[in-house]
Amino acid sequence: MKKILTPLLLTLSLYGGQPLHWAPHHCDTGNRAASKHGGHGGSEKTMFSLMNGEKEGVARLILPDLSTEELNISHAIVTLPKTQMGGYAALVVNQRTGTGVNSAIRYLSLHGRPVKISPTKLTSLPKAVLEIVPAPLHREHDRYTGSKEYRFLLTFQGEPLPHTPLILETNNKTSQTYTSDEKGVFAITLPNDFKNVKPGRSENKPSEFLLTATLKDSGLHYQSTLSMPYYANPNDYWQSQQMGAIAIFFGFIGGLLIYRRTTSKGVKRG
Amino acid sequence: MDKLLTMSALRRVIQLTAFVFFVYGATIFTTFYTGDKLTQNLPALSCAYDMKGGDFCTLIPLQHQMDHRVSGLFTQNAKLMEALLPTLITIGTVAALILVLNKAFCGWLCPLGFFQEVITMIGTKLGLTQITALGRETVLKIRPIKWFIFLFLVLIFPILTGIGLLGHEWGAPFCAICPSRIMTTLATGDMAQVYVSEAGWGYFALSLIADLLFGLMVALALFVRQPFCRICPILPMQTLFKKIGLLRLVKNGSSHCDGCGHCVKACPMDIYEIQEVAANHDITHSDCTLCGRCIEFCPQDGVMNFKYGPLTLHSSSKQGFKKRLKIDKWWKG
Repeated sequence: MKKILTPLLLTLSLYGGQPLHWAPHHCDTGNRAASKHGGHGGSEKTMFSLMNGEKEGVARLILPDLSTEELNISHAIVTLPKTQMGGYAALVVNQRTGTGVNSAIRYLSLHGRPVKISPTKLTSLPKAVLEIVPAPLHREHDRYTGSKEYRFLLTFQGEPLPHTPLILETNNKTSQTYTSDEKGVFAITLPNDFKNVKPGRSENKPSEFLLTATLKDSGLHYQSTLSMPYYANPNDYWQSQQMGAIAIFFGFIGGLLIYRRTTSKGVKRG
Repeated sequence: MDKLLTMSALRRVIQLTAFVFFVYGATIFTTFYTGDKLTQNLPALSCAYDMKGGDFCTLIPLQHQMDHRVSGLFTQNAKLMEALLPTLITIGTVAALILVLNKAFCGWLCPLGFFQEVITMIGTKLGLTQITALGRETVLKIRPIKWFIFLFLVLIFPILTGIGLLGHEWGAPFCAICPSRIMTTLATGDMAQVYVSEAGWGYFALSLIADLLFGLMVALALFVRQPFCRICPILPMQTLFKKIGLLRLVKNGSSHCDGCGHCVKACPMDIYEIQEVAANHDITHSDCTLCGRCIEFCPQDGVMNFKYGPLTLHSSSKQGFKKRLKIDKWWKG
């Protein structure tokens, strides 16, 4: 019971009364074996919770081949259909409020036969009036990682939206505000805010980050979110870059010692 | 200007262009995403860890397929075709590429090969004594290492990992030690691949070997030609298909070759076998990178040839030899 309640309460405390967004459903642990890898898609969860929105309704799953499937939201939960397609997909919901539209987007990596359509087409496909577009999304077999910089594009009605504030929040209680530049682009460095990190990628669970943009236009209130998992950066915890540089240096010195030895022996030279 | 127009000059231009494409190509020619890369199965060490690269090496998908798919034959009673199909597609793509360019992927396109050649040029200009040829015995001792790496690090260890007999760090052990991973990422300004891991003994050993090997390769390349190429597991993979390659090195030395040995001295891989008498015979050795230096440095007309199918692309000549020798002397000062 505690296992179920703790993440639920944590999510509610962080995002309660907060924007509409997708979060992994706490009952769904995904494919444990595949979670050791950098994003083969086999680790993708199949159930997602729609937080802070209408608990019943319809969401859209835009598949890697850009076809769309409607998903029923039941008790604020959607379950992904089984698909043989591999590649990025987008889970999208747009909900009308009395004063505007709230949108939530999440990109998923599906395991299956790769589709010959570029992920750029999926990300650039308009999904909401106000939208946060990864520019680019993290690469296949990679993952969003703390201490690394990522770029996003903010669009409104398909056009870049400049000079607009956005909020970054994480499940690890980090909150930061950014502003899009004149081209609607903004870069964020995901925080290094993991606690109790153990050595090894498979030993640490991902956290979640949430980007939120809000805009008032023609009397209507638009809010859009992008939520994704992110991981601890090994170089912040169990990998030493200093030791790596020292090892390269010693390797180099070893090579120079071989040079000294071989040239002093009088081998064939040019 | 004509004095500088040699096959080596052409090769340098192509190598530099290929380096830019394979290391930075995603920013110009392709996109950031794996799915948009040129082939995803390049038989050359262009690393997938380089996020800006235009294409990447076939060894990373191959290791993953061994780990995740082929191992399923032993653990999950996977159907034969289901387990082998991705590997067959990978191998089929490599075979198709080798059909077109054969082993020239190494001598003309590989970013790590070019990097080592540049380091050797720097070593020459620094006045370091160059070891132009390793001894025959040394070469024969080194040669099996690439097969060991190919069999164990690319095929067997990943399968054992998939079966569960080895830890996850052995799922892609060649990538874990490959100097191209460090070189190409550093070339893009990404320091993330220079590290020693403390996640366990396996991770520690592999990451330490990778860093030591990179440093060693750079130092050796200052005075020995192509130090890492000699143990690169791409060579065995290419060797499996070299017979179908349209581009090949053909020796027609029945009447003219006097065994002067210039070709062996010119060969960056120290392939002594190319000195042997051969009459219109394909002498593309498993270590050959088809760089063409043996053709340039052969002093006899028509003895060494680059052939593409039935066409002769380039042949050795007395005139070409003299020109090349002059340039070599000028370069070495």
